[in-house]
Amino acid sequence: MTSHLPDHYGRTELVLMMVDPFHLFAYWEVTPENLRQVQDVLGAEMDGARAVLRLYDISLIHFDGTNAHFIFDIDISLEARNWYVPVWTAEKSYCADLGFVARTGRFHAIARSNVVHTPRAGVSGRTEGPWMRVRFVRRRKPDPGRPLELVPVPDIPGRLSPEELRALLERRAREEARLAAQFRQGTLPTSLMQGPR
Amino acid sequence: MMPQPTGYLCLVLHCHLPYVRHPEHERFLEENWLYEAITETYIPLLRVMNGLVRDGADFRLTATLSPPLISMLRDPLLISRYERHINRLIELASKEVHRTAHQPEFHCLATMYLERFLKTRHAFTQEYGRDLVGAFGRLQDMGKLEIITCGATHGFLPLLSAGPSAVRTQLRTAVAHYEETFGRPPHGIWLPECGYYPGLDEILRDVGLQFFFTESHGLLYADPRPRYGVHAPVFCPTGVAAFGRDFESSKQVWSAEEGYPGDPVYRDYYRDIGWDLDYDYMRFYIQPDGKRGNTGIKYFRITGKTDQKEVYNRELAMALAADHAGNFMFNRERQVEWLSPGMDRPPIIVAPYDAELFGHWWFEGPEWLDFLFRKLHYDQNSVKPVTPAEYLERHDINQVCTPCGSSWGHKGYHEVWLNGGNDWIYRHLHHAAQRMEELTGRFPRADGLTQRALAQAGRELLLAQSSDWAFIMKTGTMVEYAVKRTKDHIARFTSLYEQLLANRLDTAWLKDIEEKDNIFPNLNYRNFS
Repeated sequence: MTSHLPDHYGRTELVLMMVDPFHLFAYWEVTPENLRQVQDVLGAEMDGARAVLRLYDISLIHFDGTNAHFIFDIDISLEARNWYVPVWTAEKSYCADLGFVARTGRFHAIARSNVVHTPRAGVSGRTEGPWMRVRFVRRRKPDPGRPLELVPVPDIPGRLSPEELRALLERRAREEARLAAQFRQGTLPTSLMQGPR
Repeated sequence: MMPQPTGYLCLVLHCHLPYVRHPEHERFLEENWLYEAITETYIPLLRVMNGLVRDGADFRLTATLSPPLISMLRDPLLISRYERHINRLIELASKEVHRTAHQPEFHCLATMYLERFLKTRHAFTQEYGRDLVGAFGRLQDMGKLEIITCGATHGFLPLLSAGPSAVRTQLRTAVAHYEETFGRPPHGIWLPECGYYPGLDEILRDVGLQFFFTESHGLLYADPRPRYGVHAPVFCPTGVAAFGRDFESSKQVWSAEEGYPGDPVYRDYYRDIGWDLDYDYMRFYIQPDGKRGNTGIKYFRITGKTDQKEVYNRELAMALAADHAGNFMFNRERQVEWLSPGMDRPPIIVAPYDAELFGHWWFEGPEWLDFLFRKLHYDQNSVKPVTPAEYLERHDINQVCTPCGSSWGHKGYHEVWLNGGNDWIYRHLHHAAQRMEELTGRFPRADGLTQRALAQAGRELLLAQSSDWAFIMKTGTMVEYAVKRTKDHIARFTSLYEQLLANRLDTAWLKDIEEKDNIFPNLNYRNFS
């Protein structure tokens, strides 16, 4: 006999999750009381209003509700309780509102989501950065508050000129990124839990 | 002091199975995952490593022992059931030796299986004293094996990170369990499914972990771009080291098309006597419900893309495993020669695999590993096996980068664990984690029965969080079981939550689920805050 799961948790909420650099997933719950409140606020405007997810691109800003780089709406069915949202650019931060857009264009939000960050989908343009010395500690836990020691960027030994070296590293990075892109088409092996194919 | 090699090879085997233990059933199909892995993978790997030690062939291996796997390997009920399982296999193999008496090519294979199973039983009960975890631990004490930890129940951390506590609890519980098991903290972790997101390293640092692994693009897409790609670790801004998976070496072993395990000479996994032989003869040895299934006795080689399989030839397969080990070593030698100019230290090749690939899927995998370590020790000096700990001791200066969010699942991010087939679980997993936090706030100093109920709620939550359930729902076999496990644990958690809030605990029921879901007997419910 399989157990019964809670059908709802009695709290209005919207949760955003990241699937990959180009897809988000949202799930929500709206309590009957909150839905009634929205209907009261919108009044006659509720007639013909569309339920939407309003997505905000809030990358690298402190979002105050008005300063998003970019806003777009996805029409949803409120009863679906979850939705996949395609996005067009990787390496962004998003949050969303769940709400209704009245025919007048007025938007009324029911719930605001958490913030999600989508990952990079290619190599970083930045190559310069700090280096650090961290002493490895055997058989005990390092102090989480220990100071971290920045060190000068080490030289690369050898007979290559700086130009040759840069060219070598660039070539390698490109080759590796190409292979990685190919490789992440899926390498998860067949698991022991799977029966015969 | 050893001379510095041209490069290092860091082989990592991820040993994990979800916690499956059903005392309420006399025989339970999914428990076979553990029994098959013990027979086909864990004992063969221990025998390889102990053989290398005996013969003085130096080696280094890194292996995860996930907390659920450690718990199952130390569970008295599962240990006794494993003995029943191996005894049944020995009985079947004995019958096979008799049945094939007039078919020489099959007879020698039946004899091989019988000898293997007898040796396996002897190793399990005598050499290792029914304690495989202890056997792995001794290899760690010798400095040959580095045992790393994993999420407490292999929770896919990026998708549990919506709330603050779930990831922290997965990691705290895992580290505490490792310390109980091995008497010292773990140095590093295999992130379940290689699932990393920026910021996770802060929690890793807080629980005392010093390194982890990412899929190749986790490091190649790191910011700033790592100077040495995946061939040197980077330090996250927190000082925790990230090692990136090398794709060349992975592909050679792993790829279904180009990899070694698919060679026609190797044993075929799918042709098993559980499917091939007369039903009445097999009935006692297949699935508890009488359906046909694998036994582990397989007589054919892969042969090719045909149903006309040829009989397995052990000698040829062993010769090929030795050739493949030589080929792997040759390729690593060339790889480090190609990589080392332009580096300020020897490159490291990180080659992680699911342990169950070796022996279970790829029958000859453990022998391949044995040949590889022997060749690396005796036949060359340029590539040296290393553990991450040794590498970080020798090379404590590394570039500071933030790895890119990633996993080793299909398409490299979260889709395997978040898709139309399994997305319904997250609402419940997130709410249960929030409710558990709420309970720790409400009962900061519980004792007696309340404490037991709180700890059990924690166990149910952790068991529900195993990434294995979402994975099985995605892959499409045994889905019913994965759905049932998710629902059962969430429902048990929810009942405990409601009973605790109403101050009306059902003690008989609590005792029942404590006996069923008995992972982490010393679980501290306050860790969920």
